[in-house]
Amino acid sequence: MLKRKKFNGYKVKRYVSVTVLHILLIILSLTMIFPFLWMVIASFKPNIDIISVDFKLFSSNWTLEHYRKVLSEMPVGRAYFNSLLVATVVTVSVIFTSSAAGFLFSKLRFRGRDVLFFIVLASVMIPPQIVLIPLYFMISKMHLVNTYPGLIIPFMMSAFGVFLMRQFTYGIPTELIEAARMDGASDWRIYFKVILPLVKSSIAVVGILTFLWTFDEFLWPLVTVNSKEMMTLPLILAKYAMAEGGVVAGSSMATTTLVVIPVLIVYAFFQRFFVSGMSMTGLKG
Amino acid sequence: MNGLLKRRSQVSSFIIVVSIIILTYYVFISVWPLVFNIYMSLSKTDLMTGWKIIWFRNYISIFKDSIFLKALKNNIIYLLVMVPLGIFTSLIIAALLYKVKGFTKKIYIGMIFSPVVTSMVAISLIWKLLYFPNGGIFAQIISKVFHITPPLFLDDPKTALICIIIMDIWRDTGLRTVILHAGMEEIPQSIYEASQIDGISPVTQFFRITIPLLRPQITFLAAIYSINAIRVFSQVYMMTGNPPGGPAHSTQVLVLRMYQEAFYSTRFGTGAAIAMVIFILLFGLVLLEIKSFQQKWEY
Repeated sequence: MLKRKKFNGYKVKRYVSVTVLHILLIILSLTMIFPFLWMVIASFKPNIDIISVDFKLFSSNWTLEHYRKVLSEMPVGRAYFNSLLVATVVTVSVIFTSSAAGFLFSKLRFRGRDVLFFIVLASVMIPPQIVLIPLYFMISKMHLVNTYPGLIIPFMMSAFGVFLMRQFTYGIPTELIEAARMDGASDWRIYFKVILPLVKSSIAVVGILTFLWTFDEFLWPLVTVNSKEMMTLPLILAKYAMAEGGVVAGSSMATTTLVVIPVLIVYAFFQRFFVSGMSMTGLKG
Repeated sequence: MNGLLKRRSQVSSFIIVVSIIILTYYVFISVWPLVFNIYMSLSKTDLMTGWKIIWFRNYISIFKDSIFLKALKNNIIYLLVMVPLGIFTSLIIAALLYKVKGFTKKIYIGMIFSPVVTSMVAISLIWKLLYFPNGGIFAQIISKVFHITPPLFLDDPKTALICIIIMDIWRDTGLRTVILHAGMEEIPQSIYEASQIDGISPVTQFFRITIPLLRPQITFLAAIYSINAIRVFSQVYMMTGNPPGGPAHSTQVLVLRMYQEAFYSTRFGTGAAIAMVIFILLFGLVLLEIKSFQQKWEY
């Protein structure tokens, strides 16, 4: 009898602790997504209800006014196009250069390889912020300020992409490459027919990360873009940061919703790639 | 066979082409700009009318500039607060997640991770409104729930920087948690079982077993978040309005100062000198990052 009671007590205790655990995690998860929920709700409320001493989360006057205003006054469509174009070109370029360099540094031997790899390593030490001013000077001397090439060129290769792909390519058995060589395949053929298919999933990781970083890049466009037509999405958002918060609250949240929600939808479908990719490298742009 | 080997040692066109691309690109985009930046930092120039070598006067002037010194101090505060606090909170969350299994865990991770994939610029804008004094939602919660006068958040020089740091910690909680959680899953279960037999409590287990065994992950995170703390820019630019870095330069940071010196005041030499200071601060940290990154891959 006594034994049974004790057993039950243990069970109850365990049940309580599991419940507490889940309550904590639910509170935490809600804290993490709350700002996004608030953003979406705010984008449909009149300004007066967004920032208000008479606090309520929901409003009685839902409105589409902010979206109408944003879409007519701000070049959101154009900025979307610019951001997508720049991020796509950069991503494709980074994928090919990183995987080719990864193959080069992990499987091929030639004189000067270590020197070359040292240069790549060195450029990891030189983040873009540090060379912002000379890079701006160069780009302006080449008359590329406020152009797509000007936005794209500084990001076309990623030292960390090279680093990562080198690590991944190490894992491919050298016998596979030797076998292809026996059949008379050139290095180009080996790269396209053997290496690329085998590192596909790593490429997905590098690609997703590069796309996100380029999509979010702020400082470089801030310095080089000076016309409405060339603005990328972060620059549109920056316009609101400079205005009086309360006055543009609704339209800024409408714009933010338009920028953030598509990314979150893609993330919801490909969560695995995002989470594993980012935690593998621990990197952000 | 011999002939085949000999042919292999020849340099193929793939090696030549890819090497040349890598060499040109990196020399052009980072090595040369760095050298050029050093040269600029020793000159006085507005990029238009002329160059004048003034040697170390830019460096002397920035270390006499109180705003620059404030920025340097703020970056250090940013690092000292964000790195330990961020890692500590994520350790606790990772330990909670460790106890959950299966699909529910995936859902929790999915939600906790969502700010990580979202644009920093957008998030800063959202938080700027959450922090809005008096009428904003944080101020409302504080005054309605705790019945005290809420702080002015970003409008008060005393609290502005810490508000930005809190937002930054919140934003990357998911990333740190997932990295630490993955590390926890690699710790063999037998170690915990052995210590349980010895009658060691779960809290002691956490501090005496889990944390020491997570050292590679913690070092790695400390390195990358120190780098992020030194490089911080978008958050400050977006959250502190017009002109950024306010109120009263209380949120001034190095990259922002560099940007302002170069592109607001057209003192490009001074900006380049600040860039060199950032470079020196980052140098050791990046070395640590690469080292721990490679260690991580040796598993």
